[in-house]
Amino acid sequence: MRKTTRKFPEARLEGIGACQGVAIGTAFLVDDPRGRVVRVYLPAEQVDAEVARFYQAVRIAQLQVQEAIERLQAALGAERAYILESHLLMLQDRSLGEQIEAFIRENHANAEWAVRDVTAQLLDVYAKITDDYLRERGSDIADVSHRIIKILSGSKMRDLNDLANGAIIVADDLLPSVAADLDPAKVLGFVTNGGGWASHTSIIARSLGIPSVVGVKNVAAVVRSGETIIIDGATGAVISNPSPETLRFYSEQRARQQQQQIFDIEERELPAITLDGIEVNLRANIELIEEIEAFRRFNASGVGLYRSEFLYSQAATGLPTEEDQFEAYKFLAEMSGRDGAVIRTFDLGGDKLHLEGFKPERNPALGLRAIRLSLVVQDIFRTQIRAILRAANQADGNARLKILLPFVSNLDEVREAKRIIAEVEKELRQQRVPHAEDVEIGVMIEVPAAVILAEPLAREADFFSLGTNDLTQSMLAVDRGNENVNSLFDPLHPAVLRAIKYVAEAAARMQIKINVCGEMASNPAQVLVLLGLGLKDLSMTPSAIPAIRRLVRSINMSAAENIASQVIALATPAEVHRYLQSHVPHLGAPFLTSAQLSKSTA
Amino acid sequence: MIISNRLGLHARAAAKMVRLANGFESEILLARSDMRHRTVDAKSIISLLLLAASQGTMIELIIDGSDEVDAMEAICRLIEVKFGED
Repeated sequence: MRKTTRKFPEARLEGIGACQGVAIGTAFLVDDPRGRVVRVYLPAEQVDAEVARFYQAVRIAQLQVQEAIERLQAALGAERAYILESHLLMLQDRSLGEQIEAFIRENHANAEWAVRDVTAQLLDVYAKITDDYLRERGSDIADVSHRIIKILSGSKMRDLNDLANGAIIVADDLLPSVAADLDPAKVLGFVTNGGGWASHTSIIARSLGIPSVVGVKNVAAVVRSGETIIIDGATGAVISNPSPETLRFYSEQRARQQQQQIFDIEERELPAITLDGIEVNLRANIELIEEIEAFRRFNASGVGLYRSEFLYSQAATGLPTEEDQFEAYKFLAEMSGRDGAVIRTFDLGGDKLHLEGFKPERNPALGLRAIRLSLVVQDIFRTQIRAILRAANQADGNARLKILLPFVSNLDEVREAKRIIAEVEKELRQQRVPHAEDVEIGVMIEVPAAVILAEPLAREADFFSLGTNDLTQSMLAVDRGNENVNSLFDPLHPAVLRAIKYVAEAAARMQIKINVCGEMASNPAQVLVLLGLGLKDLSMTPSAIPAIRRLVRSINMSAAENIASQVIALATPAEVHRYLQSHVPHLGAPFLTSAQLSKSTA
Repeated sequence: MIISNRLGLHARAAAKMVRLANGFESEILLARSDMRHRTVDAKSIISLLLLAASQGTMIELIIDGSDEVDAMEAICRLIEVKFGED
């Protein structure tokens, strides 16, 4: 039964803020990570239409089954079609239809939910049947139920955006691909039980700029559909049934943020130039091709890092084919504008590929991964390079795609990769397949060996990309995922800053381009230091671009250089934090970990 | 009546029963003799299947309506001929 306006007390939950922003709206429960069969409480006046929608779907299902029966009969003879005939009879079954209709009317439920719940009850009864053969018939019911739901849902994502229009999605978990399809103009935010700050769903939420809180224990069980909830993506607070005072507090916060967003949009066309006239490139890090929309929204200068291994995790079966990759890279090249996109070749570990003879690794972070794996399993690398070179062949003759080699620790790796790339070029030439040649090849600088060898590497590479996340981990020998030591992870550690300075100077001396593509590039205080160290090409999560653009436009490069030269001379992370907090307090915390902050003020 | 075909009142047999039953105006209810209080509608395949009448199950028919005599005869005949199987 639908409870009318019974008042529940305000309840506060806590999770991890995945993407900043306050959202206030109606909770919308999604009980499947794929975003299907969502539960909707319908207003009374929509119930009749929902019943009609259900019967319409049943009629379509009947037609589908009827057609399938005719096809089967034509192919195999009348006898073989009987299984589908029992499906047809189920679809014509009046009592089943009446039960579902009654469920919709009693619960004000959407049809998908009603079909699923009623058939699930039936399946429970079937499971108790002792006769094996008869019990098996439960699968027919499941089939029929699935067919109706599929028809009702149509294209699943448009549906979720429409269903949750003006609401906040509450779910046990959301798949990254579902999050990527959310339309921030419709869905106000989401909150999940699962996930962490660095989970792919969270990264996508940030790139879409959709307020979200993850890791909220039991949220899908505590919050009821239709309740008012508030989520604060900055603090990780989730409040259901807010009191009038709470509501007023957060409404004011939201209003301020909306004002800020308007500024962001107005500002996005403004050039990223410092007060003393130095231009800075702000590029976007992209994981899913779908995110390209977000990057355009923030007016990024192209894609500074496309993490291609996400194609692998998205592919239904194992590795994406050459054609799958070609389509994805071509789209990337077309959408990323004249600045183009940097494609980082697969940064995968051997465990993901189920290689024959691959021994389990105790420490995969230092194992057979990235360029190392590409050089061992060359056919996978060749396929990827073929797809990139073909996609880089633009009508106007400009190769807008670049290749970036991850996790390089040895010059030979770069030379071997370049040899393979040259072979692929030759092969494409001989096969007369349209492709681009002389595509730029870059090297990720993310292990100490590559830092030390920056100068010789610069002779082999067209550009460098500083991966500050992995570089910080490997310079400091700290596993960011290890709770015992993660407070030691700090990109502002003097050792990391000096390594960055060393690489930047080597690149300048050797006259090759260098960019930064780690999380550092999205933190204003850290960006100030990076700029001062001479790094003027920054790639970041797209939603960070407005704040960084504002920072660039508010400073003098000479001041940034001055701060960087002061900071680089300091000996401890705490001194660096203290210095930044006292000299540029308006930029906010230089680093987000609370342990870091308490240490730096101690 | 005893369900005597090997597979019992399975999907295909039930389908035949539902088709036949839907040809009559009368209300046609079935019950297992061991659970008389639970009757199911012979015109609904879902209900028939839930009866879970395997081979050897004794069932009873309750038919009420204008063509009840014809209906009773036709359905008994269907069960007698083991749904045209075996």
